[in-house]
Amino acid sequence: MASSVKYLRVPPNSGSLEEARRRVFEFFKTACRSIPTIMEIYVLDDVVSPSQLRSTIASEIRKNAHVTNPKVIDMLLFKGTEELNLIVEHSKQRHHMLGQYVLGHNLIHDQGNNDTSDFLQKFYKGNYY
Amino acid sequence: MGLGHLASRALLRSSRLGASKPSHHLLRRTVVSTPELHNSEAAAAEAQPEPDLPKRTPVAGARVHFPNPDDAIEVFVDGYPVKIPKGMTVLQACEVAGVDIPRFCYHDRLSIAGNCRMCLVEVEKSPKPVASCAMPALPGMKIKTDTPIAKKAREGVMEFLLMNHPLDCPICDQGGECDLQDQSMAFGSDRGRFTETKRSVVDKNLGPLVKTVMTRCIQCTRCVRFATEIAGVQDLGVLGRGSGEEIGTYVENLMTSELSGNVIDICPVGALTSKPFAFKARNWELKGTESIDVSDAVGSNIRIDSRGPEVMRILPRLNEDINEEWISDKTRFFYDGLKRQRLNDPMIRGADGRFKTVSWRDALAVVAEVIHQVKPEEIVGVAGKLSDAESMMALKDFLNKMGSNNIWCEGNGPNPNADLRSGYIMNTSISGLEKADAFLLVGTQPRVEAAMVNARIRKTVRATNAKVGYVGPSADFNYDHEHLGTGPEALTELAEGRHPFYSTLSNAKNPVIIIGAGIFGRDDKDAILAVTEKIAKNINAVRPDWNGLNVLLLNAAQAASLDLGLVPESEKSIESAKFVYLMGADDENVDKLPEDAFVVYQGHHGDKGVYRANVILPASAFSEKEGTYANTEGCAQTTVPAVPTVGDARDDWKIIRALSEVAGVNLPYDSLGAIRARIGTVAPNLLQVEEREPAVFSSVSLRPDVKGTIGKAPFGSVVENFYMTDAISRASKIMAQCSALLLKK
Ligand code: SF4
Ligand code: FES
Repeated sequence: MASSVKYLRVPPNSGSLEEARRRVFEFFKTACRSIPTIMEIYVLDDVVSPSQLRSTIASEIRKNAHVTNPKVIDMLLFKGTEELNLIVEHSKQRHHMLGQYVLGHNLIHDQGNNDTSDFLQKFYKGNYY
Repeated sequence: MGLGHLASRALLRSSRLGASKPSHHLLRRTVVSTPELHNSEAAAAEAQPEPDLPKRTPVAGARVHFPNPDDAIEVFVDGYPVKIPKGMTVLQACEVAGVDIPRFCYHDRLSIAGNCRMCLVEVEKSPKPVASCAMPALPGMKIKTDTPIAKKAREGVMEFLLMNHPLDCPICDQGGECDLQDQSMAFGSDRGRFTETKRSVVDKNLGPLVKTVMTRCIQCTRCVRFATEIAGVQDLGVLGRGSGEEIGTYVENLMTSELSGNVIDICPVGALTSKPFAFKARNWELKGTESIDVSDAVGSNIRIDSRGPEVMRILPRLNEDINEEWISDKTRFFYDGLKRQRLNDPMIRGADGRFKTVSWRDALAVVAEVIHQVKPEEIVGVAGKLSDAESMMALKDFLNKMGSNNIWCEGNGPNPNADLRSGYIMNTSISGLEKADAFLLVGTQPRVEAAMVNARIRKTVRATNAKVGYVGPSADFNYDHEHLGTGPEALTELAEGRHPFYSTLSNAKNPVIIIGAGIFGRDDKDAILAVTEKIAKNINAVRPDWNGLNVLLLNAAQAASLDLGLVPESEKSIESAKFVYLMGADDENVDKLPEDAFVVYQGHHGDKGVYRANVILPASAFSEKEGTYANTEGCAQTTVPAVPTVGDARDDWKIIRALSEVAGVNLPYDSLGAIRARIGTVAPNLLQVEEREPAVFSSVSLRPDVKGTIGKAPFGSVVENFYMTDAISRASKIMAQCSALLLKK
């Protein structure tokens, strides 16, 4: 597996927001390109479709859409690359994938609107706070 | 004086300086090996009374109560003078003086047997060491507990005990909490001289709860005394003598007592251990949480031992006012029900009649939508028998905000009296029952309804020969009683003074009447209460200094629900209900519900209530939440979470609070503190945790006259199966085994 991820390198610092932005798109494309491999090694065919995984990746990236500092974006990119590396290298196991990107993803959709009180939002999250 | 001896004294002194925890007594003794003790005279001569006597704290906070100041006598324990009342034993005197004497057979609450000899101490002028547990202290006695003679005596006893005790500590469930283990470390010799083979004893089958390994038994006879004295069953006994001595049930017989589990605690070794807990865990890997039992209305104090997310066992906790140090078998063993049949996700019943897992957001949205479509008077809420006060308060506030006032707690009957607190609690208090000298039990079988209350009555009957009269269906009692009749007409006779038992009652100084909560469901309930009150008045059971008119409740939630005023507005509301909120209510009769009624079940077990439910909201069980419960004597106590909740469940009050917001009628509290403040405005007594607040007025003088006549129907028995009364115990496998094997058919 290790050979397939040689191209996953941590890039040097981005000079501007524009450059950071470009890198994010590149990272997204790399991630999307590795989806077939991921589907295969974690046997995800019967639980999720490639397009669903693509949108999961997109929404993970959109979570940080508000970040404008190129340094922070670089750091996030670094973490994303790292994560992708681990996944492609099969350092994770199937239930990690299921928990983090297949099931966990649905929950994120659940917490959409913000018109409820603090109590209710915590209530939906869990019993302990 | 040997080095070891000196070291132990030095240890003693240093531990006394910081003596805040007397329970560490075992640590402050060092193991002394024998050689220097062979020369005991010389050592004794050297051991002069210490000139400086540091203050000692009594063992385990023991207190002395002098019934009569003239009866105080003074004895000297290791040269330290103590004042004790006459009649105390030497062992008790030592405890007051802060010296813990090793013992096996002696137990505070059992009669004295004096057969293990572990408690030997030296008394000046007596030729031999004396068994301190059986020897009354005499004025001026000079007791010596750490002389070489006493130590040698203990070593000798220990050696004899270990002679026939198997060396199976590694596979023994008592390991780590075994008196024999601890005391042989602290007081035993460092070697034995025994080379022959050990004796072995056939194990006895005592039923599904108590596991026996009788080879480990040291013949202390605590279990025999417990069974005969406290539990009141003559099942256990001693067979044979000498090395052939065995504890057994004489004939092949199970131990059928609702208190049998307590022999596990009192057995000082691993001869009697818990069968369901066998080989499950070691006691040092368990986390203890001090909590309250909810399986009946007594509110026994318990310790929940858990490992990770699992409740491993339940043990009693000392509370002199409620359960002393015993608990019933249901309390002790129903915990495995907490692992079975649990509801862990919110669910909605689909069109095909099957439940589908949904998110909390969707489930609450559905409930909120439906509740707005029905008329306020068609909304009904029922609190279950295990509900805590906080959730009942929230439920009542929520439904009131929705415009409905039909909320009640199951078991309280259609028309409960919640106005006068003295009308539904045990006014004498549980420990107050010991002052009574005559009992009248009306339609209640305390042995199955509240085993700990029954143990109190039995204690009183044994101690003072109190007379017990009983009105109700034929039932099992473990003390002498007089069966006065099966139906209410016996009460009428008593009220009119025609019954022979009446003279016993009227001659009693502190008569007690106990009315079972089973009559709450009867149509002629008010009339029966009125006639009982008349009896109480005639026999002078209610006076300023003694209120002997008691109600014995059945469920943990009942007292608090009546305190909070959970009283339905109309008696027939369930027949016309369109929206029913069952908060853990499984025993409510839902057959009468209209077909199109929408039922929400909030609870922790998939029990009877779930069959009819349209929406399931999973809640946490008593071991997982903090909640206030009032017991039958009106004492409020709180449970403490011991383990995390199962799955996606939430605490009861949080669910209702969240639902109220989704439904648009926000409840004004979102923390436990805030909801308790709200309870304080309704029933301040529920905030006096662990303190019993007596009822102020007695109902006898204030209740308006009631119309209605007494029915002819005889009283029924409310608890059909002691081992299965609520959702948790019905889910428990151990309780199922018990009811299959132990219930008398
Ligand atoms: S079984 Fe336990 S409690 Fe009973 S006599 Fe033996 S050691 Fe004592
Ligand atoms: S405790 Fe005194 S003889 Fe057993």
